[in-house]
Parts: sequence; structure tokens; C-alpha cells
Amino acid sequence: MGMIRDNPVLSRELLVNLRSHRAFILQFVYAGLLATAVLLAWPQAGDGRIGASVSAARQLFDLFFYGQFILVALVAPTFAAGSITGEKERKTYELLLASPLKPSWILVGKLFSSLTYLILLLFSSLPMMILGYLLGGILLSEVARAYLVLILAAGTFGLVSVACSSFFSRTSSALVVSYLIILPIAIMGIYLASTDNFQLRNFVTLTLLPPWTLATWTIVVWLINLRLLRPPDVGSEGKDVMDEQEEQKYAIGVVIDRDLFPDKLFAPAKRTDLMPDGTNPVLDKELRSEIFSQGTLMLRVVIQVSMFLSIPLMAGFLFWRTMPGWYICYVLTFNLLVGPVFSAGSITQERERQTLNLLLTTLLTPGRIVRAKLMAALRVSTVLTLLLTEQVILAYVLVRDLQLQFLTIIPFFIIILASCLVTSSLGLMWSSLVRKTSVSIIATYLSLLLLFVAPFGVYQWALTIFPETPDNILRWIMTPSPYASALSVPIVGDRLTSTGSDISPIERPLAFAKVQIWVISLGISLLISLICHLVTLVAFRYKWWKARESV
Amino acid sequence: MIEVEHFTKRYGDFMAVDDLNLSIGEGEIYGFIGPNGAGKSTTIRFLATLLKPTSGEGRIAGHSVTNDPMAVRRVIGFMPDDFGVYDGMKVWEFLDFFAVAYEIPRLERRRIIGEVLQLLDLTHKRDDYVNGLSKGMKQRLCLAKTLVHNPPVLILDEPSAGLDPRARLEMKYLLNELRRMGKTILVSSHILSELADFCTSIGVIERGKLLASGSIQDIQKQLRSHRVLKVRILNENPSQFEYILKNHSSVKAPSVNTIERTLSAEFEGDGPAQADLLRQMMDAGAIVEAFDEEQISLEDVFMMITKGIVN
Ligand SMILES: Nc1ncnc2c1ncn2[C@@H]1O[C@H](COP(=O)(O)OP(=O)(O)OP(=O)(O)O)[C@@H](O)[C@H]1O
Ligand SMILES: [Mg+2]
Repeated sequence: MGMIRDNPVLSRELLVNLRSHRAFILQFVYAGLLATAVLLAWPQAGDGRIGASVSAARQLFDLFFYGQFILVALVAPTFAAGSITGEKERKTYELLLASPLKPSWILVGKLFSSLTYLILLLFSSLPMMILGYLLGGILLSEVARAYLVLILAAGTFGLVSVACSSFFSRTSSALVVSYLIILPIAIMGIYLASTDNFQLRNFVTLTLLPPWTLATWTIVVWLINLRLLRPPDVGSEGKDVMDEQEEQKYAIGVVIDRDLFPDKLFAPAKRTDLMPDGTNPVLDKELRSEIFSQGTLMLRVVIQVSMFLSIPLMAGFLFWRTMPGWYICYVLTFNLLVGPVFSAGSITQERERQTLNLLLTTLLTPGRIVRAKLMAALRVSTVLTLLLTEQVILAYVLVRDLQLQFLTIIPFFIIILASCLVTSSLGLMWSSLVRKTSVSIIATYLSLLLLFVAPFGVYQWALTIFPETPDNILRWIMTPSPYASALSVPIVGDRLTSTGSDISPIERPLAFAKVQIWVISLGISLLISLICHLVTLVAFRYKWWKARESV
Repeated sequence: MIEVEHFTKRYGDFMAVDDLNLSIGEGEIYGFIGPNGAGKSTTIRFLATLLKPTSGEGRIAGHSVTNDPMAVRRVIGFMPDDFGVYDGMKVWEFLDFFAVAYEIPRLERRRIIGEVLQLLDLTHKRDDYVNGLSKGMKQRLCLAKTLVHNPPVLILDEPSAGLDPRARLEMKYLLNELRRMGKTILVSSHILSELADFCTSIGVIERGKLLASGSIQDIQKQLRSHRVLKVRILNENPSQFEYILKNHSSVKAPSVNTIERTLSAEFEGDGPAQADLLRQMMDAGAIVEAFDEEQISLEDVFMMITKGIVN
């Protein structure tokens, strides 16, 4: 208990975090959203059907549980993944390590401070849950169990993120790897929780979950402790000095070799001699030095985890069922996660590392700098994403149904490439608009979530608000989402050949469209990217070149 | 070579630099001195085209800082007070990066990088990673970076901050060497002694105002007239001799410290006048133990200037 009550790391962080207005506003918005949901789901007075309130209560409960579970999975890393990398970035890491605080205290401080707010948010839904309980149809034990699961999830996800934070030196890397580990677990959790088999559910949540989470926690805590006790060789100012060759010797699994295909596509070999004339030095620097400057750990983890996840998905969507659209959605999700890492920090980091001054007094124009940064980010994220399309090509070669319609591979690739462009451009835009890398990354993820997922929600909502409007007009709402495009490419074999709006919007959201799907996707992506690029240029010029207030 | 006219910078209500005028001739080393927060970096960043002035204009080698920043960047080498280095880059790559950014052709780059490395004594670090270098070496590397495009003007913001005494000395030699190469140098510091022996002129800035500016001789001459004389006597009552000081034409504002048995005063005269004063006191029966001109350290000068004693 003393570890929590008298922990200086915890109290400092809590002070800083909870004192901000932002925290309170967020809390209010959240409570407001929940209240609205309750209000909408509350049975009308005239609704005479027996059991109407019971099913409403069940719906409400499910909404709360799944909603908050997803919230925890998405939000926990944003709070926790920066907890230790933030210290490294602010160069206070060594101070912290050198203090007499035991690593476990630092860890507890970091974990609790990053999760307190999230748990506060969770509990602000408690009154609504109780209201749902009053409607009948839900057991109190179910409510309690829901909170148990949510808190265990928050703890696990938070710990995983703190662990990532202690292993990487940049918040962006820690964040993306946290998501890569957490999202599959979260999806599996939702899948398990949604079974109608009560017995299984009880077994999983009460017998299986707590001990396993505790075991996981122990291992992760041990790992973090180890890392904090024996930090790697830090150079002057507390930065890890990475020697690529040295690091690769100890790498487990994938090794990145800059001289081999396909690695050299995203990681061209280091120069052994001066750049040729006419090279864009920024592009060269980004590709050859910056990507691996934090070591290859992040990239190796990303590649391995994504490959590992792709195996069951490939089996399910490409070989067992002929639903390549779904597999492409996975590829897009990967790009959504990984794309911003290379772009959202690229301008903010120059500022954080205080190299922007040096860069801006050279003869490089803002336009050249921004273009180089975009090209570098785009190249790395595109190549990494395309690594996952090997499986698609394999399926088109091996699966008879797909062989017969091999041309459909073209729209898929166009959709993927367009999405790569969008994720990188958006990241770079945020990087030019805000001051801190962590803010930029999170803003990028939020706007990507808005672009990828929100259109589906808005469509559902529009269906109830404008019931008279024909469906194939409303479905236009979904066009910005690359997911919608990927799912809408017509594939024979899963009885989804016919066009028109009689196909359900889940199966092929954009089936109504008279134009080719990829035309829509490409058009929208190009438009968004162009806007982002213009905003970036203007912001870069305006904020740092024209106003030049406080570089 | 460097001209600043009515440069004013305001952050909100705060006046960081107030109507600053400067003129630095070709081939000079201009020391820009002031305490923390005086506005040195603000002025320097303005000259380095990184800061938009609230009002005023700057000109370097005839190019306007506000209207033609690209031309200015071509002729200046700028070293900021706080700077970082890129990760995962070796020393030679770092220099090559900036050389390319200054559009230097490859053939020349090879020669130049070798030369600046040698000049800054970094040749043996050529293949080290930059973020593994010590602070002082980073400082030297940054100076090397400012030299790659051979600019006639160098603008250095506290180049020797964080260096050990030996490295400071080397920095001094280096700047002298650069001056011999014909460069005009604007260098800031808050330590006067560091600049005094090799600067041709200095400017003292405090709270955004330039308090003194001119050649180092002028300023030193002004200071010479403000020496403090200390006389320690063994007699019981030192104040009995105060009248001698009061009546002496070269002495100003004498004071007595009976506990230490010293008389002190500001002295404006020359050597013979000093000898005369000593003789007068001995004649009056003073047993003089010590007769000293108190050494005014450059720091004292700095304090005097910033307190408005000298201008
Ligand atoms: N971006 C900014 N916003 C507000 N005030 C600023 C900003 N930059 C500088 N200042 C203020 O302007 C004043 C002058 O700062 P400046 O950096 O020029 O001082 P300096 O002479 O370089 O000091 P030092 O010796 O510490 O480097 C300081 O009081 C500082 O607080
Ligand atoms: Mg300064």
C-alpha cells in the first residue's frame, strides 16, 4: 500500500494528469455520451410489450460492456505507452533511474498514474449500469463481473504498454507495438465474451481469466523490472546508442538485412561514401539513418506479429472461404497502425531533438523537406504493408475461384496503396500542426479511426434518422472508408456477384455504386492526401518559417 | 558585414529585445555578452533567419534578413545554443548531410569534410556515431557543420558552453584561427573573460537593451579610469590619513575600514600620481603595509557595465 500512497512518481504524475482541464472535459463528454445512450435505449411509456424493458436492459448492458472494453483497448496504450519513453524523450530518464527509487516503485507509479484516469472513466459509467440493472433482466453479479473484466483488461493492456514503453526509446514505437499486441487480444476477448453459452462465459471470466491475467502480469512486471534495473548502454544525454550489427546478433526470429530483398526496399543499406550530387539529403537521412536509429526491435516485432496474425486470417478468408476483402481489411488495419509511426513523428521529432534549427538554416526549402519526409514515410510503410500481400498473391495463384477472376486483385492493390498514401499524409500533417510527437501520433490515430470506421457508424445512424432516403444514397456515406472499398470489390464464389443495394451493407457496403470501387477509393484517398499535403506545407511554412516564433 | 537596425522583439507583453542597433565590420570578432535571459539568443536567432522581428531590420553581407533569408543562409554559418544531432548517423555522414543541404558538389565535399574534421581535431572520430559523442565533441561537430559551406560570416551562440577549461582554450584558438581566415564572427557568451582576449569588439546587452558597444580598447580605457586603490596601514587609527586621500587630485570617493585598517578609493591617476600619493602618506607618518591597486576582474567590469556604472 505504501508503494501507492507514498510513491513520488505516482503523486507527481497524478497531479499533472488530473489537474488538467482536459481530463475533466473528457470525463463530462464521456458521461454525457453514456447518458444519451441510456436515454435512447430507455423503453418508451407506450411500449406495452412484455419483456421490452428486459431486452432494452440487455442491449444497454452489452453496449456498455463492449463499448468500454474497446475503449480500454484503445485508450490504455495512449496513456501508458508514453510513460517511460516520455521520460527518455524529456531526458529525465537517467535522473529517474539514478534516484534511489526501486524499479518496482517507478513501475507502480507509472502504471497507476496512467490507469487511474481510465478507471475513473470506467466507473463514471456505473450509475448508468445500475439504471440498466433497475430495468431488470440483468444480474448484479453480471455487472460486477463486467467491471472485473474491464479492470483486468485495463491492467493488462496498461502493463503491456508500460513494458513496450520501457523497451523502446520512442513513444511512437511503444504505442504501435502495444496496439499490435493488444488489439488481437481484445478482439479475441470480445469474441469469447459474446458466446451465448453461459457456462462457458462463467468459466472463462471467473475461472480462467483472473489467474491467467495475474500470471501474465507477473511475467510482464518481471520483464520491466529487469529492463529498469539493468538499462541498456545509454550514451551521453541518456539516449540509447544502437549498434545495428551488435543488436542483430541477439535478435530472435526475423533478422533485418539491409542488403537483401525485400528489406532493402524499406531499409536501404547505410552509405559507405558521400551522397551523389542531387540527392535530397533529408530523404536519404530518413531512410538510411533514422528508421533504424532506435534499433531494429520495433520493426522486427511489427513484422513478426503481423505475419503471425496473417496466417489464420489467410487460411480463413483466402483459402477456406473466398472472401479476400476481409483479408485486405486486415492489411489495411496493419497499415493504419504502422503507417503513422513513420510520418507522425517526422517533423515533431526534429523539433524535440532540436535539430530543426540546424535544418532550417540550410538552403533546403520547406517544400523539399516536407516532400522528403513524406516520401520516406510512404516508402517504409508501403513496403511493410505490401509484405502482407504475399498471401493474397499466393491465394490468387492457388485458389481456383480466385484464379478465375484474377483481375480483381488490381482494385485490392489500388485500395491498399491509396490507404498507404492517406495514412502517411495524415501523419505528416499532424506532425506539422502540433508540437509533440505523442500528441501527433494520437491525433493521427484518431483521425484515421474517424476515416476508417466512423463512416459505418454514421451510416447506421443516418438509416434511423432519415428512413425515407433511399438506401443507395445513404450508402455514399461509407465511401471514405477504405474498409468499405475493400469489402465492396465484387468477388464470385461467395454469392456476392450481383450488384445493387439489395446486397446487405455489411457484405458489400458500396455495392450500389455504378462506378468501379477502386475509382472511388483512389479518388477520395488522393483528395485527402492532397489536402493533408497542402495543410502540412502551409503549416510548416507558416508556423516555422514565416512566423518563426519559437522553433 | 553585419548590421542590425532598431531590432525589437516582443513576446506578448514581454520585451525580449528593445530597439537594438549593431554594426560589425568585416573581419571582426564581436563578442556579445549578457547575463541569462538578456536577449542574446533572440538577437542571434533573428540574424540566423529563424525569428521574425516585431520590428526592425538586419542585414548580413548586404542581404536583408527578413526579405531574403535564403541569401543570408548562404553567407552565414549558424551554431545555435541548444542543438541536437540525428540518431544513427556517423560523424562524416552528419557533415555530408549538411554539405548536401548547402548544395556543395560531391568532389568538393570530400575535400571539405576532411578539412573541417582536421581543423576541429575530429578526424579520429570520423566513423563514430554522432549521438555517442561527448557534449564537447558535439559542440565541435556543430562548429564543423557551420563551416562546411565556407561562409564568410559565423554566428555562434555560446559555442563554449559546457566545455572543459582546456576545450574552452582550444575554442579560443580556433576562433582566432577562423578570424585569420578572414571570417567575421559574432559570438555570444555570458562569460566576459572568455571573449575579452580575442574579440576585437564587444557589446554588452542586458534586459533587451544594448548597454555598451565598441572596440575592446575603448571599453578597457573607460575601465582603466576606474581602478580601486587599497592601502593597508598598521597605525592604530587609519581614518587620520583619510584627509590625504580626500585632498589628492586623482582620488575619488575614499572610504575607511577601521577593522581591516584599510583605506580605499577610486583612483584615476597614472603611475607617478600613485607614487606621489604613497609618499604623502608616508610623510604623514603612516606605516603602510600594503599599497595595492585592486585587480578588477572582467566579471567586475561586466557587473559595473550592467549596473550602469560605465557606459
Ligand atoms: N518563445 C518565447 N516566448 C516567450 N519568451 C521568450 C521566448 N524566447 C525567449 N523568451 C524570453 O526572452 C528573453 C531573452 O531570451 P534569450 O534566449 O534571448 O536570452 P539569452 O540572452 O540568450 O540568455 P542565455 O544566456 O540564458 O542563453 C528571456 O527572458 C526569455 O524568457
Ligand atoms: Mg541564449
